[in-house]
Amino acid sequence: MPELFAQTDVAGFEQYLLLGLVVGSLYALIALGYTMVYGIIELINFAHGDLFMLGTFLALSLATWVGVETVTGQGNAAIAATVLVMLVVTPLACASLNILTDRVVYKPLRNSPKLTVIVSAIGVSFIFMNLGLFWKGATPVRFPDLIPDNNLIAGTGLAFTWKDLMVVGVTVPAMIALTLFVKFTPLGKAMRATAQNPTAAQLMGINVDRVIAATFGIGGALAGVASVVYGLYIKSVDYQIGFQNGLYAFTAAVLGGIGNIPGAVLGGIVIGVVGELSKAYLGAKWSEATIFAILIVILLFRPAGLLGARVREKV
Amino acid sequence: MSSPLLEVTDLEAGYGPINVLHKLSLRVDRGEIVAMIGANGAGKTTTLMCLSGVVKARGGKIVLDGKDLVADRVPAHNIVKLGLAQSPEGRKIFSRLSVLENLEMGAFTRSDKDGVKADIEKAFVMFPILRERQHQAGGLLSGGQQQMLAIARALMARPKLLLLDEPSLGLAPQIVVQIFDVIKELNKQGVSVLLVEQNARMALKVAHRGYVLETGRITFTDKADVLLNDPRIRAAYLGE
Repeated sequence: MPELFAQTDVAGFEQYLLLGLVVGSLYALIALGYTMVYGIIELINFAHGDLFMLGTFLALSLATWVGVETVTGQGNAAIAATVLVMLVVTPLACASLNILTDRVVYKPLRNSPKLTVIVSAIGVSFIFMNLGLFWKGATPVRFPDLIPDNNLIAGTGLAFTWKDLMVVGVTVPAMIALTLFVKFTPLGKAMRATAQNPTAAQLMGINVDRVIAATFGIGGALAGVASVVYGLYIKSVDYQIGFQNGLYAFTAAVLGGIGNIPGAVLGGIVIGVVGELSKAYLGAKWSEATIFAILIVILLFRPAGLLGARVREKV
Repeated sequence: MSSPLLEVTDLEAGYGPINVLHKLSLRVDRGEIVAMIGANGAGKTTTLMCLSGVVKARGGKIVLDGKDLVADRVPAHNIVKLGLAQSPEGRKIFSRLSVLENLEMGAFTRSDKDGVKADIEKAFVMFPILRERQHQAGGLLSGGQQQMLAIARALMARPKLLLLDEPSLGLAPQIVVQIFDVIKELNKQGVSVLLVEQNARMALKVAHRGYVLETGRITFTDKADVLLNDPRIRAAYLGE
């Protein structure tokens, strides 16, 4: 057998699939922030990945301030409280920072050419990245290992730990809540209406500026949730994780059909699964190439992304 | 004599360095249908967008029901609450929202849920096809159905003044007749209408008064039947 297929066994495949789903749901959470902002003001917010990175740093600092930095010697209650504090404070902070960025940087450019705003977003991305560099330095920082690694499905030949459960248990409800919010609440409906036709939305009496701010807030909060989950799962953070994870998440959003919320979730999961499977069977060095090759192939046949088929507008 | 519902005085508006409207003045009295006719690019849509607050006025006054929208810098999203709603040119239906959701959007500024429900029912009675299609995406409707939806959506705000921008554009003649019947009926129920049309004959037939707009200026105004019989109007706008 060539080395390429060295790890091919049935249990292995299922394991990588499971891992892909877990990692993919993390990408999906970040991808939602890209897709929602794009959907509403057609801005590819390049700073979104770096906002996520700042979120991981804040979560890390919170754990230090609370004083719970390791799982050993702590009661379950203390750990649960720490995680809860992280999951409340980090999304709120990320949401506020995202709204503030829009207010200060993007809003004054609302009627400028799209390229101007995108270049500004790249600028914000660098500012955030350097803030991160200044905050925690250039070397990777250990994130408190608060969630145990015991296998919950021992005996099946597969591994699914408390950590995996935490990722799924946080990301899936967040995505369901977002879907229900967008589908059924007045603000959610106003968001969809504004995304589809901002002028008509104004004519309905919708405060478009408020809707845009809310979109940045929700996108930022989801990035904040993702950053806590990422830190607890990967256990190591540095100032560059925003770039790489942001790139994957942005790719996920494009793959699913940018502007489309279920599309971002699907895209995230596809990228997670493809990434893990290619890591396992082709080697880690091929995983990025595989992900982007698949992106290119899918966009060749479905230029609007997997779920991005538009209703044709009648004139 | 009661004050007019809408009184526009010396309105100036434009885009970038270009002024489109030059000291435009017009008036809509309570209970009136007023038609504004004019060629492409005369500034009809700009006028309506300015009234709705989407295009900012650069000068002049827009007094709606006693309140000056320009001086008070009333933002677009508050103008609907003051009783002005618009069915825009090209319909601007929310194409991926359902017909029902489109109607709900029209009532966005209202908080009386029962009243909104009752008004959706009224819209369905006025346009039965919308009831049949209520769960379909707005973008899947035909052009005529979308026009009905756009009018019904604007009415969901319970406006005192309804702005209609080219409601006949691109529609089959029998649909146009149907739309204009609805406009007359709405007016009978007490809604004042400012109607912008390229189909000048139809517009002047339903209207009480009319304005002729040429390159951002009002050049004629009179009772609609007088305009219909004016040889200059007949030559320029009625194709005779």
